[in-house]
Amino acid sequence: MNKRLVGALTLGLSAALVMTGCGSTQSGSDGGDKASGGDVTLKLVAADYGDGPTADNSGEKFWKGVVDGFQKANPGIKVDVQVINWNDIDKQVATMVQNGQVPDILQTGDYSGFVKDGLLYKTDEVLSASTSADLLPKFADFGKVDGVGYGIPFVSSARALFYNKDLFTKAGIAEPPKTWDELKAAAEKLKKAGVSQPFGLPLGNEEAQAESFLWFMGNGGGYKDSSGAWAVDSAANVEAFQYLKGLVDAGLTTPNPGTKNRKDVWADFAAGKVGMVNGGPMSIPIFEKGGLTNFGVAPIAGKTAALDTTLGVEDWIMAFNKNGHQEQIKKFFDYFYSGDAAQKISDTYKLLPVTKSGIEKLSSDEKLKPFLDALPNATFYPFQDPKWSEVNTQVKQTIGGAVGGDPKAVLGAIQKVATAG
Amino acid sequence: MQQTSARGGALRALAPLAWVGPAVALIAVVVVWPVVVMVQSSFLKISRFGVVQGGNGTGNYDKLFGEPDFGGVMARSLVWVVAVVALTVLVSLALAQLFNQRFPGRRFARWALIAPWAASVLMTSIIFKWMLDPEVGLINMLRRDLGLLDALGGAAADPLGSAAGAMPWLVFVAVFVSVPFTTYALLAGLSAIPADVYEAAKIDGASKLRTYWSITLPLLRPALTVAALINVMNVFNSFPIIWAMTHGQPGYSTATSTIFMYILKGSDIGESAAMSVVNFGMVIVLTIVFLKVSKWRTAPA
Repeated sequence: MNKRLVGALTLGLSAALVMTGCGSTQSGSDGGDKASGGDVTLKLVAADYGDGPTADNSGEKFWKGVVDGFQKANPGIKVDVQVINWNDIDKQVATMVQNGQVPDILQTGDYSGFVKDGLLYKTDEVLSASTSADLLPKFADFGKVDGVGYGIPFVSSARALFYNKDLFTKAGIAEPPKTWDELKAAAEKLKKAGVSQPFGLPLGNEEAQAESFLWFMGNGGGYKDSSGAWAVDSAANVEAFQYLKGLVDAGLTTPNPGTKNRKDVWADFAAGKVGMVNGGPMSIPIFEKGGLTNFGVAPIAGKTAALDTTLGVEDWIMAFNKNGHQEQIKKFFDYFYSGDAAQKISDTYKLLPVTKSGIEKLSSDEKLKPFLDALPNATFYPFQDPKWSEVNTQVKQTIGGAVGGDPKAVLGAIQKVATAG
Repeated sequence: MQQTSARGGALRALAPLAWVGPAVALIAVVVVWPVVVMVQSSFLKISRFGVVQGGNGTGNYDKLFGEPDFGGVMARSLVWVVAVVALTVLVSLALAQLFNQRFPGRRFARWALIAPWAASVLMTSIIFKWMLDPEVGLINMLRRDLGLLDALGGAAADPLGSAAGAMPWLVFVAVFVSVPFTTYALLAGLSAIPADVYEAAKIDGASKLRTYWSITLPLLRPALTVAALINVMNVFNSFPIIWAMTHGQPGYSTATSTIFMYILKGSDIGESAAMSVVNFGMVIVLTIVFLKVSKWRTAPA
C-alpha cells in the first residue's frame, strides 16, 4: 500500500515535471559560439513561401541553395536555417524571444514588434552602403521606426487588373478600362455577352482590406488621410463604395461580394466566368493552373485615370543583436542582395523584388510589367499603427456590407473602431 | 507502536488517491486549468503577439458589451441552439421510431444513418458550401434544371450570400450532422422499453397515438434528456459549420458567439477571452435551465 502510494506520487510528480519541462527543452545549444578564430554559426529563421516542407518549392530547399553558396564564399561562417510555415512563425518566434533564444536573422511578415524591446540591429549596422542604396526608398522607409531603420525589405507584392482577353473580344471591348466609367461600360458589355460575373469583387473576410484599399486609392482616398489620421469614412472612400454599390446593384459583379473570398473569385476567373479581377503576381500561376492563359494585365482603373500607384505588401528580414554576430550578418545580407538569390525568389514564388537592380532584371516580363511600373510608387497598409490589426479585422468582417447597405454607415462604424480609445 | 498504526491508518485513508488521483489530476490539468487561464486572460491586456501587457480590469468586458454587434450575436446564438436542437430532436424521434420497426434492409438503413456522423463536420460543411456555389454548385444546377432558377452566377443562385438565405442552410447542415447521434441515443432508449408495457396498453385498448404519448415518450425521457442536453452544448459551441460556410458574414449577420469569439481573437485577445467567459457562462446557464425544464432530478433513473 505504502509503496503504491509513493509510486503514484512519483508518477504524478514526474508527469508535472515533464509538462513544465516542455517549454524549455530546447535550451543548451544557444545561438552558436563566438569564440574568436573559430567558426561562427548564424541561426536563420525564415517563413515558408512554398507549399510545405515536402514540396519542390519548399523554403528549406530555397534556403539551402542560398546557404550553400554563402558558406562556400565565406568559410568560417555556418548558417543554420529553420523554416517555419506562416501560420506558426509568429508564435514560434515569440516563444524564442521569450526564452531568450533569439535567432541571428529572422525573415517574416513584420519587424515592428521587436523594435520597442531593443532586440534588433539598426539597418545601417548590418547593411553595406551599396546594398542600402539599391533598396527602393519607399520600401525602406516603411522599415523605419522614428526615422531609424530596423526592418530590411525582403520581398514585395503588388496588385494590378487582370482581364480575360477572350471574353473582352467576345464582348467587343478593345482595351482594358482605365476609369470607373469605362469599367462600368465594359462590365455592361460583358454582361450582355453572357458573362455571369463581369467584375470579380471579393469583399469577404479573406482579403477585403486589400480590395477595398484599391478602390479607395482609385478616388484618392485611403485608410488614413495625408496628415496620418484615420479617415476610413472620408468622402472619397464613401464615394468609392457608392460606385461599387451601383455595380453590385446592376448585377455587374460577383453576387453578394461581402461573402466572397479572393481565392474563389480567382478560381472563377481561371474558369472563364469572370471578366476582370484585381490580382497580384501570385495569381498568375493560379490562373494558369486553372487553364486560363489568354489574360492581360493592366494598371488598376481609378475614378478619372488609371492608378499610378498600387497596393504594396512587403515582407521583412531583420537581424537580432543578442548574439553579437554583426559582421557575419552583414556578410550574409550583402551576399543575399548582391547575388541572384533575390531573383530566384521572384522566379520561384512570383514575388516582386525590393531593389532597383531586381526590378531591372525582371523588366522584360510582359505580365509583370504593370506591377513593376507601379512598385516604386506603391502605397502600403498603415500597419505600423497599433490600431491597424483591429481595424483590419473589422474591415475584413464588415466592409462587404457597404455594398449591400449604406456605405457611409458601414465605413463610419469602422472609423469608430479606428479612433476608439 | 501506536504511532505507526496511526500512520498506517492515515495512509490507508489516503490510499484511494492512487486510483482517483490520476483522474483528478487529468481533469485539473485539462479542464480546470484552461478555465482558470481563460478567466485570468479576460482581465488582462494582451498584445497581438500574445504578450501580456498588464491588467486591464473589466476593460475587456466593457469593450465586449459595447460592441454594436454583441446583442445580435448573442440573440442569434440562442435562436441557433433552439432551432437546431428542436429540429434535431423532432427528426430523430421520428427516425428512431422508424428504425425500431422491423423492415427489410433495416440493418443497411441503420448503417447508412451513421454516414453523416462518421464524416468530419468540416468536410460536410465544405461540401454543402460547394453544392451551393453560385457558379458550379450542384444544388443550384438542380434548381436551374427544375426551372426554379433563371441563371447561375447571380445573387439568386447564392443562398449563402445573405443572412436570410444562409441561416436556414446552416441550420439544415447542423441538424444533418446532429441527427445520427441523437437517433442512436433514442433508439437505445426505445429498445430498453419492455415489451409487456405495450402489451398491457394493447389489452387496455389504447390507440397508437395514445400509446406513444403516454408510454413511449415518458419512458424515453432519460435518453431524450441526455441526447438533447449533449446537443445543446454541442450546437452552442459549434464552430466549423458556420465558419466553413459563411465565416459569420455578411458582416456579423450569421455569426454566433463562438464565431464572434474567434474573430475577436484576431484583433484583441483579451476581449476574445472575455467573450469565451461569457460563452462558458451561457453554456452553464443553458444547461441548468434545460435540466430544470426537463425535470432531470425527478426523471426515473
